[in-house]
Amino acid sequence: METERLIDCLAGDLAPVRRLPPPSVRLGTWLLVSLPAVALVAWGSGLRPDLASRLANPRFLLEEAAALLTSLVGAYAALCALLPDQPGWKLWLPLAPMALWLGSLGQQCLEVVLRFGPAGLRVTSDAMCLPAIALGGLVPAIAIVVLLRRARGFRTTHACFCGALGAAALGATALRLYHPQDAAIMVIVWQLGSVALLSLVAGGIGRLLVRTSEHGHLA
Amino acid sequence: MAEEDPSWREWMRAAQQGDRAAYAALLTAVIPPLRRLVRARWPRAGLAEIEDAVQETLLALHGSRHLYDPARPFMPFLFGIMRFRASDVMRHTRRAAARETPIDDVPETSGALATNSTVDQTLDAGTLRAAIARLPAGQRQALEMTKLREMSLEEAATESGLSVTALKVATHRGIKALRKLLDGSK
Repeated sequence: METERLIDCLAGDLAPVRRLPPPSVRLGTWLLVSLPAVALVAWGSGLRPDLASRLANPRFLLEEAAALLTSLVGAYAALCALLPDQPGWKLWLPLAPMALWLGSLGQQCLEVVLRFGPAGLRVTSDAMCLPAIALGGLVPAIAIVVLLRRARGFRTTHACFCGALGAAALGATALRLYHPQDAAIMVIVWQLGSVALLSLVAGGIGRLLVRTSEHGHLA
Repeated sequence: MAEEDPSWREWMRAAQQGDRAAYAALLTAVIPPLRRLVRARWPRAGLAEIEDAVQETLLALHGSRHLYDPARPFMPFLFGIMRFRASDVMRHTRRAAARETPIDDVPETSGALATNSTVDQTLDAGTLRAAIARLPAGQRQALEMTKLREMSLEEAATESGLSVTALKVATHRGIKALRKLLDGSK
């Protein structure tokens, strides 16, 4: 009896809603905003002088492709996570390009160790990576939070961390275009480390912002 | 997963455009398969818990109409919502059961202490849910967290990202609005 009454009530209060576009379309919107912003940061910071030769290097291209893919798949997973009918495997998809990214860099580290011994893996300070990736990922991060807030969907915590990963990875992709640092161990520690840290911090902040919108409008 | 009637997708598409009759038909049609799904997933759940889970799913579906893409089947969408919301209901029930003490050995005369019959309680719960569904989103969420899911203000603040004060205000306003709605329905 009570469920029927609930149905009457829900149907009685029904108002038209604006349908959310599919994740692929929303990913396109995110790229439309994010790519020019990231390109502007790379260009504004001054492209590295050896960029042309680096772009001819298959290993550099593989790392950049893996970083870019991590960004795209991270943002896509974030947008999918909000929908209740999306399968769980899509939510963990960013792990694949991340593994490729880390694997490629790890292989280089291994080669260095085999040639020069553990002393070849020397980590020096390159602290500019953290603010540089944060700056590059700022607009993409804002854009993904806006998209997630508008959706008001499910699994928001997972969505926020995936979205933050997408934004930070895009910032890291851009960083390699203007920051001449190619030593694999340095890239792992300073660039991937920054991506991981920023993903956690920005994901946590994003979660608060998205959840506030879900429970907002208190009056 | 339960079989999907082809008309459900159409009804949901119509509901997104504000068609009340199609929406009522859809909600009525999905209740039996929804009950079966909840029962299959939580075989030990009692009738009241199953009904709670079904109602929570319907409420969540109502708030998620904009997320449905009519190009995709409807049943996985509903099933996904059911998994999230029914899990909350079951978790809450288990927690409540752990806190409560069974009083089976109390003498039968204690029945005289009951203030409402089971039927009255069922009707009261239905009226209450219907009234909560009519509250503004923020007040509804605050009441759901602090009263229905029995979260502390601190827990609710952590989950919602709102301050404790904002939650107190929303809960207070929600209760006031609820009282008006319930008085009006008498």
